[in-house]
Amino acid sequence: MFERTRQWIEVRLGIKEIIDSGLREFYLPRGAGFSSTLGAVALVAFLIQAISGIFLLMYYIPDTAHAFMSVRIIMNKVPYGWLFRSIHMMGSNIILAVLFLHLVVTFYRISYKKPRELTWISGAIMFFLIILFCISGSLLSWNQLSYWSTTIVTYIPTLIPGIGGRIAEFIRGGQYVSGSTLNRFFAFHVAFLPFTLVCMAAFHLFFIGRTGFSTNPGSSPEGDSEPQSVYKREINANGMPFYPDYLLKALVLVMVYLASIFFIMTFFPGLFQPELATVQADPAMTPDVIRPPWYFLAPYQIVKLIPNKFLGISAILILVFIFVFWPFIDGVNERNISKRPLLRVIFILSITVWLILTVWGGY
Amino acid sequence: MVDIDRVGGVLMRIKLVLILILVFSSTALADYRETFEKEFVNKPWVGSKVVEEGVCVDCHTSDVMKPDYLGIPQEWKMSIHYENKVSCHDCHGGNPSDSAVSCGTPHSGFVGIPKYKEVPKMCGKCHIGILKQFNDSKHGKALMTSGRGPNCVTCHGSHKIQKANMNIINKVRCTRCHSYKRAKIMKQALFMTEKRISDINHSIRQLRSSGASTEKAKKMLFRTEAGFRTLFHSVDVSLVKGRTAGFSRKLDVIEGMIADIYKEIRFRKNFSAFLFLLFASLAISAYFIQKNNKN
Amino acid sequence: MKRRKFLKTLLAFFSTATLVTIAYPAVRFLSPLKKKIESKKLVINRNEIAAGTAKNMIYQNEPIVVVHDLTAGFLAFSRVCTHLGCLVNYNGEEKRFICPCHAANFNLEGNVISGPAPKPLVRYPVLVKGENIVIG
Ligand code: FES
Repeated sequence: MFERTRQWIEVRLGIKEIIDSGLREFYLPRGAGFSSTLGAVALVAFLIQAISGIFLLMYYIPDTAHAFMSVRIIMNKVPYGWLFRSIHMMGSNIILAVLFLHLVVTFYRISYKKPRELTWISGAIMFFLIILFCISGSLLSWNQLSYWSTTIVTYIPTLIPGIGGRIAEFIRGGQYVSGSTLNRFFAFHVAFLPFTLVCMAAFHLFFIGRTGFSTNPGSSPEGDSEPQSVYKREINANGMPFYPDYLLKALVLVMVYLASIFFIMTFFPGLFQPELATVQADPAMTPDVIRPPWYFLAPYQIVKLIPNKFLGISAILILVFIFVFWPFIDGVNERNISKRPLLRVIFILSITVWLILTVWGGY
Repeated sequence: MVDIDRVGGVLMRIKLVLILILVFSSTALADYRETFEKEFVNKPWVGSKVVEEGVCVDCHTSDVMKPDYLGIPQEWKMSIHYENKVSCHDCHGGNPSDSAVSCGTPHSGFVGIPKYKEVPKMCGKCHIGILKQFNDSKHGKALMTSGRGPNCVTCHGSHKIQKANMNIINKVRCTRCHSYKRAKIMKQALFMTEKRISDINHSIRQLRSSGASTEKAKKMLFRTEAGFRTLFHSVDVSLVKGRTAGFSRKLDVIEGMIADIYKEIRFRKNFSAFLFLLFASLAISAYFIQKNNKN
Repeated sequence: MKRRKFLKTLLAFFSTATLVTIAYPAVRFLSPLKKKIESKKLVINRNEIAAGTAKNMIYQNEPIVVVHDLTAGFLAFSRVCTHLGCLVNYNGEEKRFICPCHAANFNLEGNVISGPAPKPLVRYPVLVKGENIVIG
């Protein structure tokens, strides 16, 4: 019976064929290990956010009078509402860690080189989209912490001379963070960003499908590092098949990701919920310390450190520009980082500086 | 093509400069940071400062003010009233947004220092329950008849007012008028209930920071505490002793509620721990499968 | 081969367990919130409250006050002050609910007239059925 049903479906859908030709014969380069699956983990992490987000959407009310209460009702009255909210909240923080690792690995392997520049750029854009997700999402719970950190974050654009104030007003929908900011961020968070992100992810995956996974040049150098003027798909004939090998590897890391969410939920349930986050937002009451969310501490610290506002914001914009268009700025074709000591220094330095700024900004 | 080493060199220098700034300038820029934050907090969009009393504070911190009164805004800012947005005119009257008020010519309707006897009336505008108990108490009657009893300020102070605690009843204060003997008996009568209240307060705060909804328990505790403290103002030991049992029953109920919340939190912890174990086992078995698959 | 089979069974077992552990909360989450409150109602005799007075009682563990007003009829409110939670008292002369703690005043509609309370008092529906008043 089961066999016949399977046959019936198989004849009509041809799943086996898709698996055989599309996935089994999509080979990854030989040395591909767990570090190559981080993108897949990020994808699943995003799906988890989407699903838990839809759950929350069923009880959430995007209105200043009810937002905080509705979140509280989700946490305390709705059966297992706390579970889905915690998954969503923990996930939103850990997904950044995954993306960060993905980024570091990609950079370290210099995988952004020809023909994968667009893959890098779409990835970089997605990184910013996810940060926007986090920022807009945090305001939705409408507590003191999120209210004031949004105030700080939306302060950064005002540093742009001339139009800066207008930009900030545009983002906030008014002079300061208010109900219209909440509605804007809500629309942004649940409609615009998911759509944009899915589009970007589709591009990203399309590019990967077209060019194949990149090799770790350290372990198995890619044949020719000559500039390719024509499109040539890397076959990696004796490499690792996408299905099942790669997917199994990805599965392991996805499970590790989920386990870490629940690990934090079990042992540090208040990690991302300090005292201030348990108080309803109150525009008339400025807390003693107001601080941007942790992933924004470094740019905030940069703005704070540079005594000139214009220079500060320019520094940030330049850094963003360098980050997004890095594949075009780095012009050397050598893909083995061990042969590029300078790049390695840049790599390590930027990570350290970023970490220092983050920690420093936290004080 | 740009020569990477040149680009790298430039970038390298930028990074070096950044590091230098980081390392050497933290002290030099501490100042800047302060101004930055000040400017930031004073931006108009930071929200209207409801609590700040423009007119009153302006004069009271300016040079024309008598030195004795200069510190008042500062004291007030440390008070529980400030925390709860109770502002000058809430007690002293007057219209704080009236631009005709200038230093030296306080607006009509404004009460500066109330007469010694009038103080309870002023506080009692809001604290009506306590005022009632106080007026009927020995303290209140002494104040009204002889004018020599204590008023609110005698024990609680004025601008820098804090939430009272047990230490407010002490030898120095009470023996200014009478022996400490009766006061001590009163303190002992209050002790157990007060201790329970502060314990419950502590656990509520703890629960709150772990995200639990404590609203109801908190309100119940507040009214129990307020009721108990209102009762104290009768300074009648036998009354306090007689009603203590009733209060302790109420506290029992609150403690029950808190125990329930703790139970719920424990359940959540166990549930997520269970999921953690499941996913960890999934990760491990998937790992071995992919390892097996390779061979 | 044997080992492989064992591992696969193990994976299937854990997956099922996980799915169930996630699916159960999801179903609970989506099922409508139970309202057991509806069934319990408080019934009192209308003669218990003389016109112009009020009576304090307990309804669903909440202290409430039922007012018999000459013009507005029977009204029921939670006594819990929306400020910090003291219990308000009804003042028949002023037709107001007054909080003893920080003097918040509420009118007969439950709205804040003065004082620090941020929100109106919670109101309960009242139904007059002949001699009886049904609250809730
Ligand atoms: S508790 Fe009622 S006014 Fe403060």
